Amino acid sequence: MIVEEGQEIVIRVRGLAKSFGTHQIWESLDLDVYRGEILAIVGGSGQGKSVLMRVITGLVAPDNGVVTLFGQEEHTLSEEARLEIEKRWGILFQDGALFSSLTVLQNIQVPMREHLNLPQSMMDDLAFLKLSMVGLRPEAAHKYPSELSGGMRKRAGLARALALDPEIVFLDEPTAGLDPIGASEFDHLIRKLQQTLGLTVYMVTHDLDTIFTVCDRVAVLADQKIVRTGSPAELQSKPDHPWIEEYFCGERARAASPAEERRAVS
Amino acid sequence: MLKRDNQFVLQTETEAPGFRVELRGTTFRLVATGAWTISEAAVLDEELKRLKVPIPPSSEFTGEMDISGIAEIDTSGAWLLQRTAGAWQRGGLKTRYAGATDSFRILIEEVHRRGQGELPEIDQIPPLQQFVETTKKSATSIWQDTLALTSFLGEVTVAAARAVREPWRFRPISFIHHLDYAGLRALPIIFLICFLIGAVVMQQGVVQLSYFGAEVMAVNMVAILSLREVGILLTSIMVAGRSGSAFTAEIGSMKMREEIDAMRTLGIDPMDTLVLPRVAALIVALPLLTFMGDIAALVGGGVMAWVMLGLDPPLYIDKLQEIVSFRHFMVGMIKAPFAAIIIALVGCLEGLRVQGSAESLGTHVTAAVVKAIFLVICIDGIFAMFLAGIGQ
Repeated sequence: MIVEEGQEIVIRVRGLAKSFGTHQIWESLDLDVYRGEILAIVGGSGQGKSVLMRVITGLVAPDNGVVTLFGQEEHTLSEEARLEIEKRWGILFQDGALFSSLTVLQNIQVPMREHLNLPQSMMDDLAFLKLSMVGLRPEAAHKYPSELSGGMRKRAGLARALALDPEIVFLDEPTAGLDPIGASEFDHLIRKLQQTLGLTVYMVTHDLDTIFTVCDRVAVLADQKIVRTGSPAELQSKPDHPWIEEYFCGERARAASPAEERRAVS
Repeated sequence: MLKRDNQFVLQTETEAPGFRVELRGTTFRLVATGAWTISEAAVLDEELKRLKVPIPPSSEFTGEMDISGIAEIDTSGAWLLQRTAGAWQRGGLKTRYAGATDSFRILIEEVHRRGQGELPEIDQIPPLQQFVETTKKSATSIWQDTLALTSFLGEVTVAAARAVREPWRFRPISFIHHLDYAGLRALPIIFLICFLIGAVVMQQGVVQLSYFGAEVMAVNMVAILSLREVGILLTSIMVAGRSGSAFTAEIGSMKMREEIDAMRTLGIDPMDTLVLPRVAALIVALPLLTFMGDIAALVGGGVMAWVMLGLDPPLYIDKLQEIVSFRHFMVGMIKAPFAAIIIALVGCLEGLRVQGSAESLGTHVTAAVVKAIFLVICIDGIFAMFLAGIGQ
């Protein structure tokens, strides 16, 4: 366990480098994720936001650098230790990535079935509980992913990510493709679940509304590294980077930001 | 997972997950300790199920869930507590929680609120009825498949007629692409298989016919058999396995990702773009492949005849010219376009029938290959009867 300034660091990334062919994505990337926070990763397209998530979760190997998960360096982990760590996180992929040949309920039970030895009745009840926690109606339980709408698939994916009561959830563009009402509901859902379950949330997002309503901290990917981290308000009031300025002080940001609104009224 | 923020409890001092029930005054207390998390849930569930609901002697008795000893809790732990509390409540004990921190309380309340609904039941069909229904379904599916294939043949014919009238509808690039994939690239494997089968049939024929002293007749057998049956059958089966399955998989995955719907909305007819080029490509490719298969089988037979009978190539060719007439060759070749139409139609039709799931894609690819091979062999049988009838 790494503790710094009274906060526990659950994920620490140091000196990460990755390139695809001749295209260098990051040269030396540093990032800390604190326990219990909602962290948003933002950056222009092609800056490797999703790749960073994939590197941290071990789906893609970095060229160089160290990822430390719960105080253990990722590349030193044995197979069993890796499995133990995988039980401590849940991942929501962009379109849910539900298994298409299983019903929603069975999808949620997959991690339980793989990692634990629970009686079927208990798995049913727990999966149903998770289903209702993410705001899906009971009728959705026996449906197949292809019978669900995009928003419902995201919710079902989130329920599967929460199946083992993880400590961290990774969300890849959780509100992309949802209508504003659905997106705002999803924001509140994330905040609510984070408070109820004591989650740490790591999300890749573009959505300024999400950033201003639920995120505690934002990390900005640009120039092949994390150029700045800070609360959304901080980044907006002191954007000392052209990309941050454009992102947080542009037309859309002004519409989304509560601070700007207040300033405009007063 | 929520942890109790207690600086004084060291990791080693936390108790094992568990509980005990005690009666203090008029209060039944369930004292829970340790980590109530999903990794311990199976054990806790079993022990809690064994626990009898206390029967209150009078109405002033109450229940209490003392969770001050719980170090960690998650939704499964909260659910187990909630289930027990619910059972006590129903048994006539007014039950409350004691020793919950704020975060624990939020979780327990959320679990209580969310756990209210009922999981909808799946209709269970009795096994006998299920058996009858599956039988009925597979029996009617034969008829439905026939109907579907016939109507699909009609659609393709209409599309082909339209393409003849309006040639710009036809997609030459797609046609050439499939001709390359289903035709040219299938050549090595078809050549190899037919060569080997030709050789094997010749070898067996020589061995068996030597009992009658008629080894040389094995050449007749191989020549006639290859040209009339083996060449076309082997080639069709290979193409059905190789290209029929690919057609289903390609069109099926496009269907899964709504690409076919997208085409329709853009005013593009999938018949023109997907089905017709494939059907046309196979109609051209399969006779050519069959021809190559015939040649390969004859070559394979020739090699074996040279080895076993000492029939050198010039002699073998002389012998072939004596035995084989053009009609034997045509009997095989005439079947090729029909087999091609069947393989392409079944492959495309099964692809268009794919539903949303990966499992469905697998089922339809399997069905495409099985049905195509079955129908090719059926057609071969019908041709055999017809040709025997007209004396060919």
